[in-house]
Amino acid sequence: MNGLHGIIFSYEKRNDLRELSEIRSSASIPFGGRYRMVDFALSNLVNAGVTDVGVVLHGRYQSMVDHLGTGKVWDLSRKRGGLRILPPFNYQKDWGTMPFRGKLEALAGVRTYLDTIRQDYVALMEGDLVANLPLADIYEDHVKSSADITVVCGNDSFATADGTYFEKNAEGRVTEVLYNLNTPRGYRGLEVYILSTKLLKELVDECHAKDQFSWRRDVLRAKKDTLNLRTYIWEGFAAQVRSVQEYYDRSMQLLDPAIRAELFTAQRPIRAKGADKASTYVGSNGRCVNSLVAEGCRIEGTVENSVLFPGVVVEAGAVVRNSVLFKETVVSANSQLAYVIADKDVIVQQGRSLMGHATYPIVIAKGSVV
Amino acid sequence: MKKECIAMLLAGGQGSRLYVLTGEMAKPAVPFGGKYRIIDFPLSNCTNSGIDTVGVLTQYRPLELNSYIGSGQPWDLDGSDGGVHILPPYQGSKGGTWYKGTANAIYQNIGFIDLYDPEYVVILSGDHIYKMDYSDMVARHKAANAACTISVMEVPWAEASRFGIMAVNGDDMITEFAEKPKEPKSNLASMGIYVFSWKALRKYLTEDEADPNSENDFGKNVIPAMLNNGERMAAYRFAGYWKDVGTLESLWDANMDMLSPESGLDLSDESWPIYARSVNAPPTFLGSGSHVTHSAFNRGSDIEGAVENSVLSPNVVVGAGARVSYSVLLPGTVVDSGAVVEYAILGEGCRIGKDCHVGGTPESAEGGKWGLTVLAPHCQVTDGRQVAPGTMLDRNGEEVSK
Repeated sequence: MNGLHGIIFSYEKRNDLRELSEIRSSASIPFGGRYRMVDFALSNLVNAGVTDVGVVLHGRYQSMVDHLGTGKVWDLSRKRGGLRILPPFNYQKDWGTMPFRGKLEALAGVRTYLDTIRQDYVALMEGDLVANLPLADIYEDHVKSSADITVVCGNDSFATADGTYFEKNAEGRVTEVLYNLNTPRGYRGLEVYILSTKLLKELVDECHAKDQFSWRRDVLRAKKDTLNLRTYIWEGFAAQVRSVQEYYDRSMQLLDPAIRAELFTAQRPIRAKGADKASTYVGSNGRCVNSLVAEGCRIEGTVENSVLFPGVVVEAGAVVRNSVLFKETVVSANSQLAYVIADKDVIVQQGRSLMGHATYPIVIAKGSVV
Repeated sequence: MKKECIAMLLAGGQGSRLYVLTGEMAKPAVPFGGKYRIIDFPLSNCTNSGIDTVGVLTQYRPLELNSYIGSGQPWDLDGSDGGVHILPPYQGSKGGTWYKGTANAIYQNIGFIDLYDPEYVVILSGDHIYKMDYSDMVARHKAANAACTISVMEVPWAEASRFGIMAVNGDDMITEFAEKPKEPKSNLASMGIYVFSWKALRKYLTEDEADPNSENDFGKNVIPAMLNNGERMAAYRFAGYWKDVGTLESLWDANMDMLSPESGLDLSDESWPIYARSVNAPPTFLGSGSHVTHSAFNRGSDIEGAVENSVLSPNVVVGAGARVSYSVLLPGTVVDSGAVVEYAILGEGCRIGKDCHVGGTPESAEGGKWGLTVLAPHCQVTDGRQVAPGTMLDRNGEEVSK
């Protein structure tokens, strides 16, 4: 069957995400006032006409499974195909207790699933990519070109944790695959790959037989001369959120209208679960400027340069600056927050004051009472 | 499959007193409170009250309403047994007719109700903003062993002559019903919400249909007939917030009430959520120069100007230097920079050009001729235009009379 199939990986444990990823995989970390990270990958796929998506999970996936549900939000609750949640069911021996060492091992862990893929092509994506890619165009380019694998890169060498970087020649073919760089160079890989289902299965089986598990080492680098790896350079906004600092910086970038216009373009809407909350209310003495605010909030105090998720309460006299407040955070009267990321259901009691810094945002763990 | 209780929601009315707002959609589909449509209230009340089968009777301009209700999933009314059913008038082998009145609409759907063989049928309107536990009303109906129970609320005596007024005895059983009485005997007004024992209602609907002189209306015909026949008619007292949003003024009032939970309309109470089919849009952005006070907004808006005492629906744009006060902006409206909007209701997709002045405060009106300013959906107001208080514009931007 002609068409594209999506596989999203959501198993990496990123220690630099600290408290944010202790209770959930990074793909289900809230982002942008109403989304979870994985909403971007899912929406990218669905907006490219993809109807079948598998999500590969390993560990701390309760929050992810809860979020995905039947896939209805992304129109992936279907009679045929649709959303498949993939815990490591083909894992052998004692593997099941360990996290995957790499994408190839993750795919070997769901090997029988690969045989059920109806489409001729597969897009591999990471659940922590925040971007709005024209995936339909990238797919079309891949099919037209004679590439074996299309490698989607950002047009920068931005230092993202555990990043993969590519050098290319004038024709766009990958000439070098780099990682563990102290000073990144080349094009930043967005961990989005398009290849044929047939090739994917061959690579998984071959590497599995040799106990090779690393996609970038054992496929991309090892085979860059034998396979035609073609780059697709995406000029727009693309964040790979792998540390608290990057989470914070990328959240603050959303206050820039140009970046919002790019990420939330009406042609390719990012879909997310609704919150069944009433409208947000700003009180007579409330002040809320340069901020992204979801529904169901009540703002009686001051909010500046911040991102508020649904149901946040900022009481009178409270001041919130340069912060990201997850769902249902309560900032009580006369307290102050600056450079803080408050996880869900945090309560900051009256008169408390918490100040981080732009280069060291403070994370308050889910449900904490300050 | 037998159900103890199902609901029938009368949603076919045009809502002519909402004028241009209901030019292209039925009244229950009119947006409310920055997120909802009016019909979300009865539908959510049903699902919160444990009623899982709802027939929605549509007639006037049903497109918007039909597509909004869809499968009923936002209200959990998409079950495999029951759920929400859209019931338009239909043709039979001997022809068919439009719904002639509220009672006739139910009469034409006796077949639908019989499918569920219910003991009780709740009759609801699609034009009221309120939160009510219908199961409590059905309990009252059962306890009173009544054929019909009518929800009532106390209204100020001075206003009683504007309502359908119930006189009751010591047990709150209805002894008399008078539509807009000159000299009201009580101040208990009917809210247009009824519980009937289906057997009794079925009989009265059939008789009413056979009467050529009947207007086939619940308030005018069926209720009086039941009362005259000595049926047990109970009153169910309701004390919460309730508003008929059938006029532009009351629709505007109810939106303003939402801003002040003291009004009794608290939509953030999670024990009784009002569900809606929500639009998918990013969170709202409040710009550096924005000034938003005592106002509500939902998703997808971009606010750079001043907004006070107003309710903004999703995807509204308020440009820099613009000012919106005491107004209700329906989805997708754009107020360009420098424009002023006061005491207005702007229909979906309106655009107010730069430096326009739409509406005005009650104090500003000349010779006491003040009123709300109302714009039809998709009305485009060209840059710099002044639209006087009390004016109504159609979608072409031309003045129409109320």
